[in-house]
Amino acid sequence: MSDNTIQQAKASSRILPGQERYVAPAGKVELQDVDSVDESMPATNMWADAWRTLRRNPLFIVSAILIVCIIFVALFPGVFTHRDPNFCQLDHSLEKSSPGHPFGYDTQGCDVFTRTVYGTRTSLSVGILTAILVVIFGSVIGALGGFFGGWVDALLSRFTDIFMAIPMLLGAIVVLQMFRTSGSIWKIVLVLTLFGWTQTSRIARSAVMETKNLEFNTAATALGSTPGRNLLRHIMPNSFASIIVIGTTSLGSYIVSEATLSFLGIGLPTTTVSWGGDISNAQTILRTDPSVLFYPSAALAITVLAFIMMGDAVKDALDPKSRTA
Amino acid sequence: MGKYLLRRILQMIPVVLGTTLLVYALVFALPGDPVKAMFGDKPVNQAVAAQIRAEYNLDKPFIIQYLLFLKNALTLNFGNTFAGQPVIDEIGRAFPVTIKLGLMAFVFEALFGVAFGIVSGLKKGKWYDSVILIVSLLLISVPTFVTGFLGQYFIGVKWRILPVTAGNDPGFIDLLMPAMVLGSASMAYVIRLTRSEVSSNIAEDYVRTARAKGMSNRSVIVRHVLRNSMIPVVTYLGQDLGGLMGGAMISETIFNIHGIGFLTYQSILKGESNMVVSIVTLLTLIFVVCNLVVDMLYAALDPRIRYA
Amino acid sequence: MSEMNSNNEKSDKLFEMQREQGPILEVKDLKVDFTTGNNHAVHAVRDASFNVYPGQWVAIVGESGSGKSTSAMAVLGLLPGTGHVVGGSIKLEGEEISHYTRKQYEQILGDKMGLVPQDPMSNLNPVWRIGTQVEEALKANHMDISHEKRSKLAQALAGGGVAVKSEDDETFIGSKELPELLKAAQAALNEAGVTGDGAKNKMDYFTKEWVPGSETRWRVADDLIKAGVSDDKAWQIAKQYVTGSTMTDRIAGLLEEAGLPDAATRARQYPHEFSGGMLQRALIAIGLACRPDLLIADEPTSALDVTVQKKILDHLHTLTDELGTAVLFITHDLGLAAERAQHIVVMYKGQVVESGPSLDVLQHPQHPYTKRLVAAAPSLASQRIISAKEHGENADALMEHHAKGEETLEKSEHIITVSHLTKEFKLPRKKEMFKAVDDVSFSVKRGTTLAIVGESGSGKSTVANMVLKLLKPTSGTVTYEGKDISEFEGKSLLDFRRHVQPVFQNPYGSLDPMYSIYRSIEEPLRIHKIGDKKSREQRVRELLDLVKMPQSVMQRYPNELSGGQRQRIAVARAMALNPDVIVCDEAVSALDVLVQDQVLQLLNDLQAERGLSYLFITHDLAVVRQIADEVVVMQKGKLVEHATTDEVFEHPQKQYTKDLLDAIPGGHLQLGLD
Repeated sequence: MSDNTIQQAKASSRILPGQERYVAPAGKVELQDVDSVDESMPATNMWADAWRTLRRNPLFIVSAILIVCIIFVALFPGVFTHRDPNFCQLDHSLEKSSPGHPFGYDTQGCDVFTRTVYGTRTSLSVGILTAILVVIFGSVIGALGGFFGGWVDALLSRFTDIFMAIPMLLGAIVVLQMFRTSGSIWKIVLVLTLFGWTQTSRIARSAVMETKNLEFNTAATALGSTPGRNLLRHIMPNSFASIIVIGTTSLGSYIVSEATLSFLGIGLPTTTVSWGGDISNAQTILRTDPSVLFYPSAALAITVLAFIMMGDAVKDALDPKSRTA
Repeated sequence: MGKYLLRRILQMIPVVLGTTLLVYALVFALPGDPVKAMFGDKPVNQAVAAQIRAEYNLDKPFIIQYLLFLKNALTLNFGNTFAGQPVIDEIGRAFPVTIKLGLMAFVFEALFGVAFGIVSGLKKGKWYDSVILIVSLLLISVPTFVTGFLGQYFIGVKWRILPVTAGNDPGFIDLLMPAMVLGSASMAYVIRLTRSEVSSNIAEDYVRTARAKGMSNRSVIVRHVLRNSMIPVVTYLGQDLGGLMGGAMISETIFNIHGIGFLTYQSILKGESNMVVSIVTLLTLIFVVCNLVVDMLYAALDPRIRYA
Repeated sequence: MSEMNSNNEKSDKLFEMQREQGPILEVKDLKVDFTTGNNHAVHAVRDASFNVYPGQWVAIVGESGSGKSTSAMAVLGLLPGTGHVVGGSIKLEGEEISHYTRKQYEQILGDKMGLVPQDPMSNLNPVWRIGTQVEEALKANHMDISHEKRSKLAQALAGGGVAVKSEDDETFIGSKELPELLKAAQAALNEAGVTGDGAKNKMDYFTKEWVPGSETRWRVADDLIKAGVSDDKAWQIAKQYVTGSTMTDRIAGLLEEAGLPDAATRARQYPHEFSGGMLQRALIAIGLACRPDLLIADEPTSALDVTVQKKILDHLHTLTDELGTAVLFITHDLGLAAERAQHIVVMYKGQVVESGPSLDVLQHPQHPYTKRLVAAAPSLASQRIISAKEHGENADALMEHHAKGEETLEKSEHIITVSHLTKEFKLPRKKEMFKAVDDVSFSVKRGTTLAIVGESGSGKSTVANMVLKLLKPTSGTVTYEGKDISEFEGKSLLDFRRHVQPVFQNPYGSLDPMYSIYRSIEEPLRIHKIGDKKSREQRVRELLDLVKMPQSVMQRYPNELSGGQRQRIAVARAMALNPDVIVCDEAVSALDVLVQDQVLQLLNDLQAERGLSYLFITHDLAVVRQIADEVVVMQKGKLVEHATTDEVFEHPQKQYTKDLLDAIPGGHLQLGLD
């Protein structure tokens, strides 16, 4: 190195034009205290941050308004219609809309508007209940596997693989074909949970594994915390965001699955008012009177759309990838 | 690579055994009585029921039943339908149609999904990106059977562009609309996945390094952005191929295509549990094999997996 | 003497040429803005001006967020996201490029300007082979792969010895011809009467130097002539057997030049099979592949161990000197900048606060910020201590930490004793066990600081984790206050945890992002069930005062604080239980120098006030000088050297310790003491 020409040039005091000594005039750059805390900013946390992001997201605003409306309809269908959804008169069959019956009548002479309103509760209940059960079951299995690792994880992972290999719709069909004529919405909820928990479990597992290796867990252990306490107090709360995201997003798909099963005639019994069942009934008259098919389909699509948009918005706000500040 | 393949196949065996056991148990060991279900709403004929029980080994202990089923399944002997036809023959007739439909849907979803996803991901925020996003959201939200009816009503009945139903032994044109309907939701997912992959990969450090080499924009996009984005997309597509076979039930029912889905639906209506179990077992196997192929593809595309 | 003269001559010539040619890069009043979501402009760079001359190293120094990397990326036209140049000019070889389109930049990137980026792990595409990624650079710029391209500067400089090379003389050796070339060289040596050991040495030298795709015809001829072969014969052999390289040869040659051993095989591997240092070498090969006139090196070695850093930078220096490449070197390390560059530019909050010849700036810093930086840089501090001692002055005043004299060290009793500690790990898919820590013994004396120094893979953090009882040793013991910690359980374990506390490396990972600062600091009190709600709050307030943080941060969350602030919170949390021992595992490594200095001060003050004992794990020997009483040097799991800090710095016993000391950047600078 020492006999290097350029090194030599460095040692010389000769200065090239434009490289003369320069010092910024005092006052041009304000020198701040080293590492001072900016106390002017409002205090925030992850959830407050997420909420701020959400509030500005048009996707969230639209979907939140829709979901509030849908929940209201599901809770108080009587506010919108005074009729009984199962009150049908054949002589009204396929009548066009008239005052008080904005969507007209179906083949059975039932009021399409009333049935659409009452169908909301079924779809929403199935969606929400399934999502809750899936989140509970899936995250417990996933969290245990991710937290303990080793043979517990291997066992639970293979168990998950087995359920994962059966597509949700097929599995549901196999079970439901035997309970075709009976059962409440719980039948659907349980079956969808049985074949739907695997994805949530996978996500919970990887979220827990990722969080488990972060230093704050080691730090907590060194402070005297126990593994169980770490799981409950540190790991689960930090994995919660990913689980919420998948829960919201898949809620819509459970509603679709219920409708599909009812459409196939192996979902809810015909006595339960549901969009899927009504769509199934209406398909025979597709060519003559598509409007009967249109209303429940539109209601279904709007509901699912609302939840999927909500899932997207929540994901944007909570996604661990975009969360690292 | 060979070692990796072997390991994956070995891991597959317990999953296949577990899955078939699960399907079998769900049908034959759950509180619901499959034999009773076969009679549907009709009164149960005890003599016939006993005969059916014997035929399907239902009078034996459960685990023996399962092993016998497994043994028969290995020799593709799935028993007979009520009408006396071997189940495997029925499946053999229906299968090619579904494969044709599934592959068409697959090509549709892969081609358009990836193309729109790339356009959207590269031009995030442009008006056509927003349009593509909204359309894909709609396609995901609207259930397949509704998409199917809409297609039938507008394309088939109103504008008469494509046939409304396919019927027996359908050709390419007959299957075009059903395939698009079948592939539409998956296509929307592919669009979203490709879009988010492309837009996150484009911000990667190695893309900047590639630009700093003086590579043209086109080669940077192709060799660094798209090449890397394809890894999860191909994985998704592979897994979905198995899913498409299962999802074919809806479009085959709507469009009256006599494929596997249609057969399943008819069997459910007729209460042929045996047929249902056989088909579901087969589809599950296809699904598992697809996953294996995906793993191989994944390893081929991502050197980090190959040597891990 | 004659060599010296010729060197002076050369440097004169270089200076003349630089002045004649003018700067290769001229940045004037550069302004760069980033646009945020609601159309707010963040001024990342304001009125920055600097010049780079051909063949010169210029360093931009600054802390994170100072705008140093942004300035470099603006020059390359590779600003991320919403960044854009809003004012000023960037001239490359006199041509204004700041308004260039992407297409125009494609023309100049690679062959006029190259980049060696910061993080080696993320800058190579994991799905392509290393060789392929080098090849891309060559192909994108249509490089002639069988001939060397030399800058005007290098050509002119070489002028003296060997006449300006014709195109053909710059032809590379091909791997196919290499065996025959060596055979012919052997024959020629024999013919020239060089035999025996002499011939063998010469042949060994040839085998080592004649790298296909890197060495050129005239060098072969030159080497042969120097070995004693006649001019005519040498040129005849060189012309006959050096006939150009293939793409594969050239790629291997470039990698070999960048210091990657066994390059031909390595070129076929993927990035994940490389270590960080090797990846960085590959990136250097890529950056220099098309022989750019200007290389922008953005913190090229900050992710690497110091000894690796030194090797790579030495290598880069030799290469760029040979090729006549100018280097714009971005770094946060003032010592490193001054050591490597002739001219340094100090940036702070997007502005240039001071610039000038590096030694001049370092010895006589004028701007308050530069003064701060010079005062805080650990590498320079340790240098100051050495020169103070040489001048016979009292060096203690310069040390942050008033190290205990030998006698006091002897007297104090041991609070932590580690004896014959060994930890083995099972490696995946390998039979033999990997010894991460191999028979390590030392002890920490009460009220003093013991530093464990080592590079990545030395096992230093594994030792820390065993001392903290977070990992079980394979064999050997750790005792705390004379009691074996492996026997602690339940209540006694809780008691141990109360007295021995950690501060970890990653300021972004060691605080739970879901916990408010109050909850974070309160957590140990809660776990140990100390006090009621009110007294705990009181205690948290005290602790915040202790680490000099305002009490208002209690309701805030870690993501709102900077790395240094988080680290101070972590210290407060560790102090909550009034411990005797704090284990600092690389606690200041991720921080900017000024912030690092502040945290070290805090640790020192706490030790002075409360008589704490520290086990201080670090890779940075320079920091050790500022804080430790005793040093343990570890390498590959083994204890290499154990002595007092002064001993280690003044009379290092082992070669490895000497290498470490040697690699401290800025260690060889002549520093004034003003």
